[in-house]
Amino acid sequence: MDVFGSFALLLAFVCAVYAFAGGIAAILTRHPLLVKSTRQAGIATCCLVFLGTLSLEYLFFSDNFANAYVVSHSNRDLSTFYKIAALWSGQEGSLLFWSFILAIYVFSVLIAYRNKNGELMPYVGVVMAGVQIFFLTLNNFVVSPFKALAIPGANGAMQLVARGDGNGLTPLLQYPEMVIHPPNLYSGYTGFTIPFAFALGALLARYPGEKWIHLTRKWTMIAWTFQTMGILLGAHWAYAVLGWGGYWGWDPVENASLLPWLTGTAFLHSVMMQEKRGMMKVWNVWLVFCTFLLCILGTLLTRSGVVSSVHAFAQSSIGNWFVGFIVIILLVCFGAYVKNRDYLKSENQLDAIVSRESSFLFNNLVLLVACIAVLSGTLFPVFSEWFTGDRISVGAPFFNKVNIPLGLLLLFLTGVGPLLAWRKTSTESLKRNFGWPLAIGVLGGATAFALGFRQFYSLVCLILCVFVASTITMEFYRGAKVIRTRSGASLAASAIDLTMRNTRRYGGYIVHMGMVLIFIGLAGAAFNRDVQKEMQLGATMQIGPYTLLLQSVDTRPEKNYTAERMIVEVMKNNKPMMMLYPEKRRFATTVENGTMVAIYSTLKEDLYVVYAGQSPQTQLPVIHAYLNPLVKWIWFGGVVVVFGTLVALLPNRRAVLVLSGAQQPVGQQLQHGLTPSPSVTMREGHD
Amino acid sequence: MLFAMAAAPLLIIPTEGQQLTDRAKQIGGKFMCMCGCSQVLTQCNHVGCSTSATMLKELDQAVTRGDSETAVTQMFVQEFGTKVYAEPPKSGFSLIAWTLPSIYLGLGTVLVVFVISRWRKPPAARTAPTGNTPGVSAELLERARAQAARETED
Repeated sequence: MDVFGSFALLLAFVCAVYAFAGGIAAILTRHPLLVKSTRQAGIATCCLVFLGTLSLEYLFFSDNFANAYVVSHSNRDLSTFYKIAALWSGQEGSLLFWSFILAIYVFSVLIAYRNKNGELMPYVGVVMAGVQIFFLTLNNFVVSPFKALAIPGANGAMQLVARGDGNGLTPLLQYPEMVIHPPNLYSGYTGFTIPFAFALGALLARYPGEKWIHLTRKWTMIAWTFQTMGILLGAHWAYAVLGWGGYWGWDPVENASLLPWLTGTAFLHSVMMQEKRGMMKVWNVWLVFCTFLLCILGTLLTRSGVVSSVHAFAQSSIGNWFVGFIVIILLVCFGAYVKNRDYLKSENQLDAIVSRESSFLFNNLVLLVACIAVLSGTLFPVFSEWFTGDRISVGAPFFNKVNIPLGLLLLFLTGVGPLLAWRKTSTESLKRNFGWPLAIGVLGGATAFALGFRQFYSLVCLILCVFVASTITMEFYRGAKVIRTRSGASLAASAIDLTMRNTRRYGGYIVHMGMVLIFIGLAGAAFNRDVQKEMQLGATMQIGPYTLLLQSVDTRPEKNYTAERMIVEVMKNNKPMMMLYPEKRRFATTVENGTMVAIYSTLKEDLYVVYAGQSPQTQLPVIHAYLNPLVKWIWFGGVVVVFGTLVALLPNRRAVLVLSGAQQPVGQQLQHGLTPSPSVTMREGHD
Repeated sequence: MLFAMAAAPLLIIPTEGQQLTDRAKQIGGKFMCMCGCSQVLTQCNHVGCSTSATMLKELDQAVTRGDSETAVTQMFVQEFGTKVYAEPPKSGFSLIAWTLPSIYLGLGTVLVVFVISRWRKPPAARTAPTGNTPGVSAELLERARAQAARETED
C-alpha cells in the first residue's frame, strides 16, 4: 500500500504540473478542449491526493510497521480514533494532510464553477495548481511519508526492516480535540488559497465587474471560520491538556495562526468598501495576498525551527523550500500588480470624516498594526541574533503589553463601526445610536467597579463589552420592532425574520456579539488564582470558596497507558459538592506523560485541578488548583462567532413579488378597458 | 480579538510552596524558566523542575539582599544569556521591539488621516443639487438607483 500511495502522489504531481502548464497554454490559446482537459487534470490531481492520503491512513490502520512514518507515530494499542490523528502528528504526514485539505478545496471550486465564470476559472485553476505543485513537491521529493523503514546493515548499506510495534503517538496528541483542532486549523490555512487564487486570477485576467470580489469574500469567510475554530480549539486543547492553567501563551506557533486571521478579518471588513463604494481595490487585493503569504510564513515558522516553540515540528531544512515559495509568490503578486494596476483603479471618495468608511479604515489600521506587532515580536529573537549576536527572547508579557490596548481599541471600533452610516453620519444619528449604549456601558463599568473589579484593562474591557453588546442589541431591537409593527409577529420571530432578510449584516452582528463574549472571558483572566500543594491522603487545600480533599489515589491500567488518578472531593463553603479526578497517564511506548486536567466549569468560574506529579523530595502527590473566572465565556463566544459566520454565509431571504389573479391575458384586460393590475402578494424567497 | 488571552499568565499568583515576596514575583515575571518549557519563571508548573527551583531560590536571595532589579537582571543574563528575558529589556537594540508597535500605530494613524482628507470630496461636490435636473439621463438615473440600492442593502 505504501507503493500505491507513493505512486498516487507522484501521479498527482504530474497531473498538477499538467494543470498548471496546460492551464497557461489554455489561457494563451483559449482552446476550449485545453481548458476542459486542464480542469479535469486539476480534478484528477485532487482524487489522486485523496488516494495517497487514504493509503497512509490504511498503513496506520493495518499497523504496517515497515513504514518509517507509521513506526514513529503509532503503535498497535493506539485507539482507532487516534490512528486518524496520527496522520498529521509528524512533519511528513501533516504536509500530506495539508495537500489533502487543499485538494478538497480545489476539487470543490473546480466542480462548483465548472460552468461558470469561464473567463476567470482558467486563471484560478492555474494559481491553485501552482500551490498544489509546491506541496506535492514536498510530499514526493522532500518529506515523503511513504519511506520504508530502513537501518544500516553490517556492510553499511541500508536494509529494509519491519518492526513488531511502533513508537506510539505523543501523549499530548492523545486527546479528542487533537482529532478536530488540526483539521480545522489546516482548513483555515489552506482555505486562504482559494481567495488568493480568485484575487490573483482576477487581477491577471483583468476580470470585469465585481463578481470576483464576492467570490473571494465568500471563500475568505469559509477559511476564516475554520481558522477561528482552529485557534479556539487549540486554545481549549492547551487549557485542558497542558495543565498550566492558561489557554494562550503567545508561542510562535500560536502567533503564526493568529497572523492570517488578523489580515483575513481586516479583509472581511474592508471588502465592504469595495462592494459598496468601489473603493480600496488595491488594498483589498494586497490584503488577500498578504493573508495567503502569512499562511505560508506560519507554516515556515512551525516547521523550520527558525523560532523555538514547544509546538513546532522537528527542525529540518524544509524551511528553505518555504522561503523559496514565499519569494516566488511575492514576485508573482508584485509582477501581476505592476502589470495590471490600472485595473484596480478605485473611485476613492469620502463624503464625511464620521462615516462607516472611516471606521473601516481605522479597523483595518488596528488589525494590521496588531498583525505587524505580533509578527515583529515573534521574529524579534531572530533579528536580535542577526544584529547583535544575542538571541533575546520575547515572551507573553511583551505581547500582552503591546496587544491588550490594541484589542480594546478594536473592541471599541466593533461597537462604533456598525452604527455609523455609509457616506455620512449626522450628529442626530450619533446621539440616537450611541446615547443609550454609552450610558449602559458606563453604568456597567460603575457597577463592576463597585463590586471590586479594579484591574484597569479588565474594567475598560468590561465597559466596552457592555457598550458593544448594547449597540448590537439595539440594532436588532430597532429592526425587529419595525417588522413586528408590520407583521404582528412576536419580537423574537421578527428578529429572526430580520436576520434572514439580511444575513450578512445581522450574521456579522452575531459574530461581533460572540467576540464580546470572548472578551468578557478574557477580562476574567486578571483575577485568576492558583495554589499548589503537596498532599497526603485526607489533606485539604483551599482555593476561593472551594475546599479540595484528597480522598484516595488509584491506578487504572488501560490499553495504551496506565492512569494514576487522584480522587478529589470538592466542597464549597464546607458542603460536599462533587468529585474531581485529575490524572497522569504513563504511556508504555514513550517516556512522556500525559496530563488530564479535571475542570469544574461554570459561567462564573472554572475550578481547574491538575495532578502535577509526585514531589521528588517527599514522594507525595502534588495538586495544583486554579480558579479561573469567566473562562467558559470564551468557548461559548467561539460557538456564537461560528454560528454568526454561518448565518452570514446564508443567502438573504427577500420579499419577492408574486403575480396572481391575472386570469385573463393582459391583452384581453386591455380590451375590456381594465388596467392590468394583478394582485400583488409578498412571499418569502431566497435570492 | 485574542490579544488579551495571555493576560492570565501575567496575573497568576505564584504558587504557595515558593513563598515569594511581591517584589520577587514582580521581578520573576520578567524572566523565562530555562528548563525549556517556554514558560515564565514564576509560572513553570513542572513538579520537580530543578531549573526553576534554583532560579527562584537565587531570585529570592537577591531580593532579600536588597539587590536592584538591574542587578538581578545582570545576574540572570550572566548565567543564562539573553534568552532568559521574558520580555526584551527597554534599552539598546531591544528598545526597537517596544517602540515599533507605537511607531506603526502612529504612522498608520497619520496615513489614515491623510487618506481620509485626500479622499474627502470638496464641499461643492458634496452639495446635493436642488430643484429639477432635466439634464440627467435615464442611464445616469438608473446607475444612481443601483448605487443607492447597493449602499443601503446593509
